[in-house]
Amino acid sequence: MASRRRMLLKVIILGDSGVGKTSLMNQYVNRKFSNQYKATIGADFLTKEVQFEDRLFTLQIWDTAGQERFQSLGVAFYRGADCCVLVYDVNVMKSFDNLNNWREEFLIQAAPSDPENFPFVVLGNKVDVDGGNSRVVSEKKAKAWCASKGNIPYFETSAKEGFNVDAAFECIAKNALKNEPEEEMGAKPAAMDFPYLSS
Amino acid sequence: MMLNGAEDEEKWLAEGIAGIQHNAFYMHQALDSNNLREALKYSALMLSELRTSKLSPHKYYELYMRAFDELRKLEMFFKDESKHGVSVVDLYELVQHAGNILPRLYLLCTVGSVYIKSKEAPAKEVLKDLVEMCRGVQHPIRGLFLRSYLAQISRDKLPDIGSEFEGDAETVMDAVEFVLQNFTEMNKLWVRLQHQGPGTVREKREKERNELRDLVGKNLHVLSQIEGVDLEMYKETVLPRIVEQVVNCKDDLAQYYLMDCIIQVFPDEYHLQTLETLLGACPQLQPTVDIKTVLSRLMDRLSNYAASSPDVLPEFLQVEAFAKLSKAIGKVIEAQIDMPAVGAITLYVSLLTFTLRVHPDRLDYVDQVLGACDKKLSTIPKLGDSRATKQVVALLSAPLEKYNDIVTALRLSNYPRVMDHLDNGTNKVMAMVIIQSIMKNSSCISTPDKVEVLFELLKGLIKDMDGADVDELDEEDFKEEQNSVARLIHMLYNDEPEEMLKIICTVRKHTMAGGPKRLPYTVPSLVFSALRLVRRLQGQEGDIVGEEVPATPKKIFQLLTQIIESLSIVPAPELALRLYLQCAEAANDCDLEHVAYDFFTQAFVLYEEEIADSKSQVTAIHLIIGTLQRMSVFGVENRDTLTHKATGYSARLLKKPDQCRAVYACSHLFWVDDQDGLKDGERVLLCLKRALRIANAAQQMANVARGSSGPVTLFVEILNKYLYFFEKGNPQITSAAIQDLIELIKTEMQSDSATPDTASDAFLASMLRYIQFQKQKGGVMGEKFESIKL
Repeated sequence: MASRRRMLLKVIILGDSGVGKTSLMNQYVNRKFSNQYKATIGADFLTKEVQFEDRLFTLQIWDTAGQERFQSLGVAFYRGADCCVLVYDVNVMKSFDNLNNWREEFLIQAAPSDPENFPFVVLGNKVDVDGGNSRVVSEKKAKAWCASKGNIPYFETSAKEGFNVDAAFECIAKNALKNEPEEEMGAKPAAMDFPYLSS
Repeated sequence: MMLNGAEDEEKWLAEGIAGIQHNAFYMHQALDSNNLREALKYSALMLSELRTSKLSPHKYYELYMRAFDELRKLEMFFKDESKHGVSVVDLYELVQHAGNILPRLYLLCTVGSVYIKSKEAPAKEVLKDLVEMCRGVQHPIRGLFLRSYLAQISRDKLPDIGSEFEGDAETVMDAVEFVLQNFTEMNKLWVRLQHQGPGTVREKREKERNELRDLVGKNLHVLSQIEGVDLEMYKETVLPRIVEQVVNCKDDLAQYYLMDCIIQVFPDEYHLQTLETLLGACPQLQPTVDIKTVLSRLMDRLSNYAASSPDVLPEFLQVEAFAKLSKAIGKVIEAQIDMPAVGAITLYVSLLTFTLRVHPDRLDYVDQVLGACDKKLSTIPKLGDSRATKQVVALLSAPLEKYNDIVTALRLSNYPRVMDHLDNGTNKVMAMVIIQSIMKNSSCISTPDKVEVLFELLKGLIKDMDGADVDELDEEDFKEEQNSVARLIHMLYNDEPEEMLKIICTVRKHTMAGGPKRLPYTVPSLVFSALRLVRRLQGQEGDIVGEEVPATPKKIFQLLTQIIESLSIVPAPELALRLYLQCAEAANDCDLEHVAYDFFTQAFVLYEEEIADSKSQVTAIHLIIGTLQRMSVFGVENRDTLTHKATGYSARLLKKPDQCRAVYACSHLFWVDDQDGLKDGERVLLCLKRALRIANAAQQMANVARGSSGPVTLFVEILNKYLYFFEKGNPQITSAAIQDLIELIKTEMQSDSATPDTASDAFLASMLRYIQFQKQKGGVMGEKFESIKL
């Protein structure tokens, strides 16, 4: 059973509105990019088969709404995540400042059994914009933050140009795989206490 | 039994989860042993947990996610025919035997996903089947989640262009039809939920519906992600179909949310090209829909788009976006009579932001928006709402921030009209914003006309407004405001003297109406601004030929006299006196003896008639002496008259020490270092001797009053003057006199009754050191000092 479970790796992408979460997923899964901004509503996932250590995995990548008002049902889909990807826009300081909030919110809501060692990966996206001239968050600053949060792997990406996207997701998959699956509490059926079988 | 409350809900949820886990356990076992029959049985039992009606959407979603995760495992099992030996076509039939409809449809969707993936049947057919079958569940919450499951599993299997599921032709249309159909059905379920149950639970229903909204909205997100939906298809099919559904559902909650969704999920280019459709929908929505927020968000989006790159601006022009938005806003405001002022103004703020970003060169558009806002505000008796006021301030601040230049804003004819709608307090705040903008950008306002408009805008600071409650004025605020106005006056400048004079006259006209509280702040600025002009003209005087020269120093001095006279209503004689003296100095530099004399006369009149306080008198007299000493324009007669007056005032001061100091200061009036003919040594000595007499008298008075001698300070100070004039070569000041004075001081200091005074001791010691120093230095000066025996 364990082997089957490990065929599916669940990844959640979080970050402020407009940092490029959907674009990163689309670039990685479909090799497509659009410059147009389209808000995401609720949570949406795409899957991608990945070959890793001679085994085939299905990466289930959850793209989320950055705008709070499009997250009306809450975040129950965080549950069972194997890796959380935090994305910010290197050209927008606030999106970087908010990484901490996203990380903490995730840890609270997903409540992983070992929050200290839960795998995160940080992506600084849109490094292509204006040839890097409009950049406001330095790589050094981002890396320092990642180091302070338990050495979170950090990648600079451009969903538009496909730069570093595969490398980032390879790392994401690797870290997701390292994550120990949660024990399914009460998976073993106890004595039948209440009548489920009323169908 | 009806159980309410969060605790019970938690219990229901826990039971549901336990039920799912229980059956999932057996399902896993079945999957591990490749037992399709058991797998179907337990997955159906597991899915039965989703039949509950006891959970709020939030909790139901948690339960749904559990089942969802389990179904992924089942899906993988289905995919692998080698494990169960049943073809996907048969599997699709087989799952339809599940007894209960909800589990049956979840299983059908799951197999459907595998079916499409297998390409055994066209995606279009399977999707069509599934979306039809889902009609079987009409319970709103269960139906919405089931259809959202369908939307999710079909998400990457739509026959989009470039997709592996793309059919022969027109398949994008199939994908679109499928999503639109699912969207329509979901919206119906969602709206219907509102009308279930008694009216008393309306609030609860609304809360539930709000939680569920993203399930419906997500379909629009899916549509926006279909690559085959190009502008043409969006314009011809997608948007009209969505709008039709939005308008026809006649539900305000759905309309508001879905309009917002449309604006957020589809790209800016599409919005620009379909403004008519989108804006045309607005008046058709329910009157309770918050259209202003919807429109504001649309304009904010488009503004950001316009700001993103100059390349997109032609698109805006091509579709006449401004005209369309402006018209739509007008219609909405007109139609929604009950819309509060803040709503209307917020709309105008958004439109203005849009205009400033998209058409920064079209001041007429900006003015048009302000005009429309003015028109709306004119229908409101009084702007009492603080949020509305805030929006008006935002409206007025936007052009300042954009242009960083008040001069541009001054060209907007409707700007002052909008500002007039503000209450007095806010009007002042806005006026301060304007001044701060001028200061920050060092904007120079260079024509009388603009100054006129500016002061009209700032009138809340310049004069008392009707109905303003003077008692409520905060002293600190008032001071800050008036200081700002004073600083502002220096930003009004023109290189041409004629124009500058006109500016000064304009400022004068406005500031003179400021009343006694403001004049002490504004008059000095105005005076110095005028004096600056005088200084500029002073060099050119000789060059100007002809009769018609309005901007002459003489004329400006006349104006200055009037300006300073205005302070009499305050009254502020000390300030006026200072300003007269400043003017006198300027007149001196312009070689205008009579004018300078007049200013002194004015200052003296004030001194005699208005300045009664002895401390003020002391300050004033020293200012007079100092200024008079620097005057070079006076002939002997005028000078004598003024000097005589000044020494007379000095001797008549109330306190002896003040008298003494003023009198010895007067000595300088008779000895001007750099000027020939003004070295009257005798009268210098007379002043110093008189000062000594007064010092003596002061000493005696102190003796009588306190039984001890007063400080020797005065003598020490006079000694300093003696030394000064001695060094300057005044023949009347002899070394003997200095010696005597030093002796006197030393004796006084050693006397028993002397009050110790370290300052005087230090002063004396320093002078003695100086004498020694001069002696040692030798030369002519050394010889001169040698005669002083210490």
